Amino acid sequence: MLRYIIKRLLSLIPVIIIISMLLFALLKLMPGDPVRLMLGPGLRAEEYRAAEIVMRAKLGLDRSYPEQYFLWIRNTAQGELGWSTLYNRPVIEAIREPMKNTIMLNVVVIILQLSITLPIGIMSAVKRGSRFDSFWQVFSLITYSMPSFFVALSLIYIVAFRFRLLPPGGMPLSTIGTGAAYYVSLMRYMALPAITLIIISLAGTIRYVRNAMIDALSQDYIRTARSKGLREKVVIYSHAFRNALIPISTIVVFSIFSLFSGSAITETVFSWNGIGRVLVRALNNRDFMLVSAMNLFFATLGITAQLVADITYGLVDPRIKLE
Amino acid sequence: MKPLKSFFRLIKGLFVPDRSPVSALQEEALQTPAKTIVKNFLRQKLGILGVLGFIAMLMFSFVGSNLKPIDLSYVETTLRNIRPGRNYLKYPAALERDGVSNISSGVSFSIGLSEKGDVYVWGREPAYVLEGVSTSVLRVPESVRAADIVMVVAGDRHALALDSTGRLHGWGFNNFQQAEAPVQLAAKLSAKPVKQLIADEAYSAVLFEDGELYVWGSVMNNRLDSIPAAIQGRIVKVAPSAHNMALLLDDGTVAVIGIRGNPFSQVPGQLQDGSTRVVDLIASYRAVLALDDRGQLYMWGDVQYDVLAIPDFSGKIVAMDSGKNNMMLLLDTGRVIYWGGNHFNQLALPAAMSNSNVVEIYTEMFQSYAVTDTGKMFAWGNKGFVFGTDEFGRDVLTRLIHGGRISLTVGAIAVVISVFIALFIGMTSGFFGGWVDMVLMRFTDIVTSIPFLPIAITLSAVLGGRVSQTQRIYLIMVIIGVLSWTGLARLIRAQILLEREKDFVLAARALGVKQKNIIVRHILPNVFNLVIVSITLSYAGSLLTEAGLSFLGFGVSTPTPSWGNMLQGAQTSAVMQYYWWRWLIPGLFVVITALCANLIGDALREAMDPKANEK
Repeated sequence: MLRYIIKRLLSLIPVIIIISMLLFALLKLMPGDPVRLMLGPGLRAEEYRAAEIVMRAKLGLDRSYPEQYFLWIRNTAQGELGWSTLYNRPVIEAIREPMKNTIMLNVVVIILQLSITLPIGIMSAVKRGSRFDSFWQVFSLITYSMPSFFVALSLIYIVAFRFRLLPPGGMPLSTIGTGAAYYVSLMRYMALPAITLIIISLAGTIRYVRNAMIDALSQDYIRTARSKGLREKVVIYSHAFRNALIPISTIVVFSIFSLFSGSAITETVFSWNGIGRVLVRALNNRDFMLVSAMNLFFATLGITAQLVADITYGLVDPRIKLE
Repeated sequence: MKPLKSFFRLIKGLFVPDRSPVSALQEEALQTPAKTIVKNFLRQKLGILGVLGFIAMLMFSFVGSNLKPIDLSYVETTLRNIRPGRNYLKYPAALERDGVSNISSGVSFSIGLSEKGDVYVWGREPAYVLEGVSTSVLRVPESVRAADIVMVVAGDRHALALDSTGRLHGWGFNNFQQAEAPVQLAAKLSAKPVKQLIADEAYSAVLFEDGELYVWGSVMNNRLDSIPAAIQGRIVKVAPSAHNMALLLDDGTVAVIGIRGNPFSQVPGQLQDGSTRVVDLIASYRAVLALDDRGQLYMWGDVQYDVLAIPDFSGKIVAMDSGKNNMMLLLDTGRVIYWGGNHFNQLALPAAMSNSNVVEIYTEMFQSYAVTDTGKMFAWGNKGFVFGTDEFGRDVLTRLIHGGRISLTVGAIAVVISVFIALFIGMTSGFFGGWVDMVLMRFTDIVTSIPFLPIAITLSAVLGGRVSQTQRIYLIMVIIGVLSWTGLARLIRAQILLEREKDFVLAARALGVKQKNIIVRHILPNVFNLVIVSITLSYAGSLLTEAGLSFLGFGVSTPTPSWGNMLQGAQTSAVMQYYWWRWLIPGLFVVITALCANLIGDALREAMDPKANEK
């Protein structure tokens, strides 16, 4: 197993190199002169010229692109991500809170999503063609065709404005403290964005689980298990589901990844102070250091997802290790 | 005759099934795989529904955009945020029956006074900035119903009515108190008779028989309320506009008050020095038309919407009235002359009207009414908006049609780009194997780990600022296409590897079929089925992606409409809460189109699945 993981890790190296080059190129493509941004207004022409040379050397901008690339890699590795003009503090500090919020929201969504989709997917496959199955088939077909902002706007309209059950968006007030009241308030604010993300990610996973289960249930070993006289529960959960887990585990890892990178829209609609919303705000305010830090986070997440998917694949499918 | 006959037989064969008996073997031979797929597909009701729905969307967008042209630069902010409805011209039958005393129109409603003194309001509620400060303009207050009304007038969003006791009633948009009579005015109203009631967007005014004009409401920027002493008390008629008023004085000269220096205030010299006697005066938003006692017309102001181009006509003018961008004349022959802007079909006069003798005309904003000598009413102009209007007063339906054209095209081309890349990478990888396969699959891994939405919006923001609007649309297609091919490429590769191992390939090889023919005739058809299904499904996906990008403001940029960017303005709670048609309707169009594409994709997959035939 360890050998397999090491092999996977090694094969990620070219991926990391190319993605980092892409991120660096994006950073260089961004409009605006970082030196001018750092120096700010209020300098006279000759003062500015002198300060510019110093700053340019300090930021390493006077060197060649390959040198700048390695400098950037070194700084990034040390956690020096630059200065955010939007929040007026170091990027690393500016993204701490949003990152916490995004992870919190997505963890809740993933837990709920899996605990809903797995039973439904399994049931649909077992009772294939039943009313239960067709209901979820139709449901997933419709939600699959819905853009997330449409789900979000509809929920806000119905739940927040028509029935006034939950706030239409935002974050708990900072004055509320950190006690139980804070968590209640947090849950109220989190409910709608979480429901939105669950609804839009439900369809894909239910369909995938159902198909994987149907495939597993049509295998010969299921017939064998049944003819041995095993209880249906054992057949489904112990024989079929374990084998269905192999394809499911991969899709789950990737759905988590796409959930993170896709939550920008939902976060923006609900003013949930997460990294997706910060990215959109940073782009609109031309805070490009912040933008590249965000993209770095998402890219790291993408590569990690790839690795995790490979490893879980190896864990759940013993055949992989043997190859 | 023979070719003709066989041609008819061919046509007949398309609709009437051939009933001549076919043996089982023949039938087997007749049924090509493509035919089987079509046959299977036609058996699926949902798939057919998807195809029909999708065709309807295509017709709506591509045929519709030719039928209903769009003027991207045209905005009419007075019409903003009006809810769906096409009843602006549906005047009550009772008004026609009782006889019209006066009709006056606001942005999306009209108010009518019958000869019996009844007040009617019809049309749609305009949008008020502050709910609570204003009352509904469509609901005539009880006090008005009870009173004996002698005069009515509609402003852009408010209405005024004067009763026989000299009390002024106002309702509707009231942000500047323009819908309530000031105390000072109330005293004057009870003392002397009123000649003319005036209401515009933000102000109201009363002209008394003795020539005094009183203005109130929002007059901070145009100072219309401070009437020079030289003309106060000599005013005979008022022609109002948003920033100016053209006044007809008792000596037949014309004066303009309000903002100085604009074309509206450039009164021709001969109308000021007393050499010409003006008898009537009307004003559109930016132009004034005056009539002198010899029947001569004078016109000045802004040339916008050709409002200054008076058409040729012969006859004596008996009445004149003006819309926002239009002028209307009534001749003694009963003919109506109408010209100016035509964005809401204001110039489309009812055909039946040309045969009748019109005796009264009323036009304001974009609605026009005429009454004939037999008491019959005609109405034309802005009927309303099926799907309402947006924050700039643009018709949501027109923008949906043109936005659909953009969204559907962007989605299609993005899919074409992504399928091309996927086919190239997947097929090369699958057929060549070895190190080519390894390199290409690593490359695919890399693109897969690119976080789609963050990189797409970053690219769009970074590159989008340097290109023109049209190029930006191409940029969006390329971004979506280039970042979304990986899944399909993997699928194609896997399918090729799978098919290569199948028995029929082995059989073909054993029969000595050339490698090239095995690929083209035996493997590729099985791969293409997969590609076709994938195209329809990923079409739905890229439609949603475009909508999402445009929604965030990183896709197609305004004023070019797309279904996504029509929703961009819907991110404020006011829009979500009160102007639901602005997000619900474009949103539903996206959902329905994506649903249709998904239905087609599902049905195709079922139809192509050989196992489906066994049922």
